[in-house]
Amino acid sequence: MTFRTKLLFISSFTVAGAVALVTGAVSISTRRAFDSIDHERREALLTQFRDELAARSMEVARRVELAASSPGVQQIAAGSAEYDRAQTEAATAGLDFLDVVEPNLTIVSSAHWPARFGYQNDWQMAPTDWRTSDVFLARIPMPEGSAMALIAVRPVAGGKALAAGGRRLSPELLKSLGVAPGMRALLWLPPGEVIDAEGSVRDPQKLASLIQDARSANGEATGFVQWTSDRRSSEAFLAVPITRAGTLTGVLLAGTSLSTQLGLERSILRTGIVVGASGIVIGVLLGWWTTERITRPVERLAAGARAVAAGDLSARVEVLSRDEIGELAQTFNRMTEQLLEQRERAIQAERVAAWRELARRLAHELKNPLFPLQITIENLQRARDSSEFDEVFRESTTTLLAELGNLKNIIGRFSDFAKMPAPRFEIVDVNQIVRGVMTLNDARLKAEGHAKVEPHLELASGGAQIQADPDQLRRALGNLVLNALDAMPDGGKLLVRTAQHDGGVRLEVSDSGEGLTEEECQRLFTPYYTTKQHGTGLGLAIVQSVVSDHHGKISVSSAAGRGTTFTIDLPLTQADAIVVTGDSA
Amino acid sequence: MRRIVLRSIAAANVTLVLVAGLEAARRPHYGGELRVEMRAAVASLDPALVPDDPAALGAQRQWMPFVFETLVSLDDHGRAQPWLATSWSHDTARKAWIFQVRKSVKLHDGSIWSPPGGTIIIPDDRPIEQILRDLAGPRSAVIVKAEDGSLLGTGPFRIAKWEAGKTATLVAHDQYWGGRPFLDSISLQMGRSLVDQASDFQIGRADAVEIATRDLRAAKQRGTAMASTQQMETMALQFEGGRVTASVRQALSLSIDRAAILNVLLQKQGEISGALLPHWLTGYSFLFPGERDLARAKQAVRGPQTLTFAYDRQDPVIRPVAERIGVNASETGITLRQGAGSIDVRLVRFPITANDAWLALQDLSALLKVAPPSPLATPYEAEKALIDSSGVIPLFHLPRGWMLSSRVKNWPRFEEVWLDAGAAQ
Repeated sequence: MTFRTKLLFISSFTVAGAVALVTGAVSISTRRAFDSIDHERREALLTQFRDELAARSMEVARRVELAASSPGVQQIAAGSAEYDRAQTEAATAGLDFLDVVEPNLTIVSSAHWPARFGYQNDWQMAPTDWRTSDVFLARIPMPEGSAMALIAVRPVAGGKALAAGGRRLSPELLKSLGVAPGMRALLWLPPGEVIDAEGSVRDPQKLASLIQDARSANGEATGFVQWTSDRRSSEAFLAVPITRAGTLTGVLLAGTSLSTQLGLERSILRTGIVVGASGIVIGVLLGWWTTERITRPVERLAAGARAVAAGDLSARVEVLSRDEIGELAQTFNRMTEQLLEQRERAIQAERVAAWRELARRLAHELKNPLFPLQITIENLQRARDSSEFDEVFRESTTTLLAELGNLKNIIGRFSDFAKMPAPRFEIVDVNQIVRGVMTLNDARLKAEGHAKVEPHLELASGGAQIQADPDQLRRALGNLVLNALDAMPDGGKLLVRTAQHDGGVRLEVSDSGEGLTEEECQRLFTPYYTTKQHGTGLGLAIVQSVVSDHHGKISVSSAAGRGTTFTIDLPLTQADAIVVTGDSA
Repeated sequence: MRRIVLRSIAAANVTLVLVAGLEAARRPHYGGELRVEMRAAVASLDPALVPDDPAALGAQRQWMPFVFETLVSLDDHGRAQPWLATSWSHDTARKAWIFQVRKSVKLHDGSIWSPPGGTIIIPDDRPIEQILRDLAGPRSAVIVKAEDGSLLGTGPFRIAKWEAGKTATLVAHDQYWGGRPFLDSISLQMGRSLVDQASDFQIGRADAVEIATRDLRAAKQRGTAMASTQQMETMALQFEGGRVTASVRQALSLSIDRAAILNVLLQKQGEISGALLPHWLTGYSFLFPGERDLARAKQAVRGPQTLTFAYDRQDPVIRPVAERIGVNASETGITLRQGAGSIDVRLVRFPITANDAWLALQDLSALLKVAPPSPLATPYEAEKALIDSSGVIPLFHLPRGWMLSSRVKNWPRFEEVWLDAGAAQ
């Protein structure tokens, strides 16, 4: 990952993280504010609910008292009315329920279920002592199920009978509360009925845990109910139990729809996402611009460093600022200038050294033939007056010609090195080159008087074809083989190996001679450097020149007493090379 | 073309008891239209068409004898009396009975009804009591089909207008062999609810309307002019579909507090019974128990049961009884749920259509859609077989009552009823 990409990521994540944090903080504070307001609203609604229930209870008590004192109920109590007379009296008193019962609670006449005469009243949750009870909540059995009602009981005819009447707890009660939009009042009634202003609530069991909490706490309980899979159907509830003598007779519930709150939270989240996304985009653009300003000088420095690494010491970096990056660029430029100066000095020194070496070699090479020439000429001068002059002359001229030939040969080799031609590439099989070179040297390997050298070939299976100049490659390999043979005057093992390596071909020539020192290894490829008494020092220089022209690499590894190995790595193809096919060749 | 159709029918002579205080001292006089309303909707008085609706069958059996008569009739004690036949005797071989018909009997179109030879020979070697009972039944009424397709009878009234199930007008038969009835006509309004009937009665649009059983006592106490009969209806639970097992039926029967229903809901009008026919008709109804036994009921029913229950919610007699039965049944774990569709049990009122047990059982078997009782069995055996085969649970025998305007005299035999024009309506 580039520095620029890292910077982009960091800036984008920073913006997105900041937006997320702000969004989260706003959401939380909004939720808390809503919760607080809703809680107050629910408490107010419950207070209103309780007040309304109290008012209705008083109204029920008044109506039952009115019914108990009516002539019709008196007649029922006296047994002189029809069994369903309570219906008429209940309608007159405006009661939904009216039972005239004997003191033992046997129904004499029932308004809401006339057919139950003669049965004992068994209203659920009714208090044990009806006479002393105030208005209470009770579940009244009906022909079709049951209903919850506010019930009051009053004596009839001095206690000969009781009039138990009441009004149904209907959704109308809840509707009359006039709750604010988004709120509603509910009434949970045993065993599990829940009503609101619209009627029975579906899925009342979803309130069961909240009811249980209120019952357990015997006080307020809060909770949330999600009615459907949609979170917007969630409601927050405040529940307050209604108990009588320790028995739960109902639970008042004030609910607030969370749809507005969730909608706002969603809106905040949506805004946060939009802002975050925008921030990321802006962050990316800003980051791009910023990193461009920061990384461009760095990239230029990197490019300059790469150029220097590639050998271009003239590379310079433009100084665009005076900050640390600018100072770095200036330092880089000074460094390259110094490197260039040092390299030029080194080149100069190497040139001088090369010339010195050349001079030394020339002197050395030329000195050998010149000395016989001098001796021969001096012999000729001394033999001028001798009778054997003709004999001496003939021998001297022969010697002179031979030594001149030597001089010419020496000069020719130097000339050849100087005139190293450009390679002509064609598809060649390195294995075939190796076999050819080994065949040329076969005579020397088998020559009498020479120590036995055992050649070993380990050639790459399937061939080792590359683009190369076969003559130059043959010449280079021949030089290496000759060097190896020279390195084993007492015989040994010559190993030539080819192999596919790193997308190219590796060629190794190993001998089992005495090996080279580290210094010798370092100077081995210097022209005119030789470790042999009769070498010109041009053999390995030629090899290195050929390898270099083939864009390959040559290295040497050697250890004292364990021989020397030259390794050449050649690429399969030559870039921009004009490959000479067999026909054109 | 005139054709005499002889059909056996037991007379559905309604033994109505005239309420005291209504007998006027004045002499009867002719004229006037008697306006009668009833709940039943009768499609036809043709005895060949037996309605499925018990109320309609009861009304048909009540009104038919005043239009179509039989050779013999049954008196209040169920004994055969001469009617269109004046005497009967068997042949020498005792293989056939020869009935001498009344002379000068005229049909409603004025023609004389005269069988060939003035006799009707019925080849039948059964005991004469059985033959006479059959001849007194509605299916043995003398009906002549006129050329226009109308049915002609010999009764004191003829059908002047008949709109099935709605209205009918019966006009006096001037040449009736027993003498022209006092009334000029009888107007029948059918399918009227009790509330509508009471309303019409209050505003003077009806002379005779039905009254609910539970209101009979109150009406008597108020001194309302009215007439009531002996127990002429059997209130019973009729099972349908064959889905209710015998044990559940037994549990339901044992769970019902008949006494409370009779005393409170029916105001002690009627009698508790486990029999289809009332005691006054058979004398053995006590053999069919109707007591409540909640413990046995709970034992009989195993686990909660829910039955679809149907009854006429507009019937002020049926409805409270049905609701009470629902309360009683719930004590044994049987829930009677009102509903449409396939009905398990229905609370109905069956009419007692004749003052002869056999004839009454024949109509009941038709209403219960079971085979008629075997003529070889005793009435008790026949009734028990009918109850067992149909699964019906008889509950009460109820009287029928009528509120009458003050101008109606001599109720209930319509050939003798006359209207007192001077009485306030």
